[in-house]
Amino acid sequence: MNQPILSFEITKRYPGFSLECQAAFESGITAVFGPSGSGKTTLLNCLAGLVAPDEGTIEVLGETVFSSSLRRNLPPERRRFGYVFQDAALFPHMSVWDNIRYGYRLTTAERRNTDLEQLVDLFQLADLLDRGVSGLSGGERQRVALARALATSPRVLLLDEPLASLDAEFQGLIVRYLRRTVRELDTPMVFVSHSMSHVLALAQSVLVLSDGKPVVQGRPAEVLAHPNAGAMSVYSTLENLIDAEVASLRADEEMAELRVGHVTLSVPDPGYSPGDLVTISLRASDIILAVDTPSKTSARNVVVGMIEEVRARGTRVLVYIDIGARIVAEITLGALQDLGLQEGGQVYLIIKSTSVVVLDSPSNGPRRDDV
Amino acid sequence: MDMSLLALTLRIALAATLFNIPLALAVSWLVVKKKVRGRLIIDVVVSLPLAVPPVVVGFFLLLVLGRDGPVGALAYRLLGTDIVFTWVAAAIASAVMSFPLMARSIMVAMGDVDERLEMSARSLGAGPWRAAYTVTIPLAYRGIAAGILLGFVRALSEFGATITVAGNIPDRTQTLALAIFSNVQLREDAAAMRLAAVSIALAVATLLVHNWLVTRAARRG
Repeated sequence: MNQPILSFEITKRYPGFSLECQAAFESGITAVFGPSGSGKTTLLNCLAGLVAPDEGTIEVLGETVFSSSLRRNLPPERRRFGYVFQDAALFPHMSVWDNIRYGYRLTTAERRNTDLEQLVDLFQLADLLDRGVSGLSGGERQRVALARALATSPRVLLLDEPLASLDAEFQGLIVRYLRRTVRELDTPMVFVSHSMSHVLALAQSVLVLSDGKPVVQGRPAEVLAHPNAGAMSVYSTLENLIDAEVASLRADEEMAELRVGHVTLSVPDPGYSPGDLVTISLRASDIILAVDTPSKTSARNVVVGMIEEVRARGTRVLVYIDIGARIVAEITLGALQDLGLQEGGQVYLIIKSTSVVVLDSPSNGPRRDDV
Repeated sequence: MDMSLLALTLRIALAATLFNIPLALAVSWLVVKKKVRGRLIIDVVVSLPLAVPPVVVGFFLLLVLGRDGPVGALAYRLLGTDIVFTWVAAAIASAVMSFPLMARSIMVAMGDVDERLEMSARSLGAGPWRAAYTVTIPLAYRGIAAGILLGFVRALSEFGATITVAGNIPDRTQTLALAIFSNVQLREDAAAMRLAAVSIALAVATLLVHNWLVTRAARRG
């Protein structure tokens, strides 16, 4: 496809653990997935220059930033990688504005590909600028950290578990901000995650690490079907995280209609207004597939989609379906055979309204509106 | 109350403190942030003057600063003057004796600054110096100031090493502590009491500021 943005081959040994990893990442969003202790954060720290590998090379856009044979180890401030820590690591003695400005002022004008105004706008920070950072919510902290890192116009943005420390209500918000960042700033991102749901929601490509070694790299759908990688992610908790818009409310039934891709889903009304943008979570195992229109069912949602991809691993099958957005459903191998599902074919999705969880809380306020 | 006695005492303690500040910051940074090899040994060496009798420190300083010692000989050749039994020797003795308290407090203050904040600064384009003076020092500032004050009080009250290397010469090396000692020796209890009161007042004032800084630092963290 493209030239790799980032390629590396590194070894870092600790007592009782060693990271030996070779890979190349392309533009867009790449995830590094693995259980805790697999070396994801060590890899990220090596790339950023916060930890020096024992051996190997790291290249970004053709520039060698680390090479043990050339005895070259660019310090972090000269690598021009953005780094966002899991808990944001905002400077507690500075206001939001000073945090964002910190790296921007250290970036030469000709290297800038964005300005503070655009970032404040992109992450909806205008109302927070004068505030100190201690009173910010988890979602606000993460937005400030993203803006602060992007203000240096980094060649690659590295994120350590950007969603892990957030309450569910902020996860959807940050997912949308990250997608929007790639769209508007075109900054390649590498994020570390132990959640396959987050990987599916964000990444075009995923590298799976286990015990310091790469297991497989590819599109999330391919990787999930891989026997070694799939074993690490618990299928039953695989969630779809999808953008949706509140279309209308049915106050009498306390239900809301959400537009998702080109279908509409009814969900219990969590207190939104029409036009609100939200992110929904829907477990892959909560979706029932059917080949004919079910005539009568207690489920409130029956929508039609097109099968894009079917991936089996053992007796578990993941079916990727286009409903205007990509959605994954988990069925058994027996069900796949009975239904005769084919890639390119049509399928009905039966979804109980209560299995759709809206991740945003209405109290996130108006800032949500134009994301 | 002899103002020149107080002035000399303050001058010696101040000189010792000013000399120690950059050194204590540098050593703390090496031990706590840079995590250099052999930092345990540095830690022991830094703390040693706390643990040995002050007269031992004074004795070694006498050997180093005396006209036959390496530093003393050099000073005599270059400046034609001795260091020992001058206020400079008293200041050096106070500096060595108060260094451990200052350095250890600064180490604690710096250690309390989350490493990830410095890493963030670096990844945002700040070199190590800029990260230190825009992130580490502002965040550790109260703890650093408290450490400096602690060192200052210790320098004010220094006695054993000072009398060994600088003697107890009125108007030249006699500090408050040494003057109290002389008065006690001479059974001038009233004079000793007067000077003791001054010395206690100085200490209380400094410690009050110190404690205020420490409480503020704790509240902030």
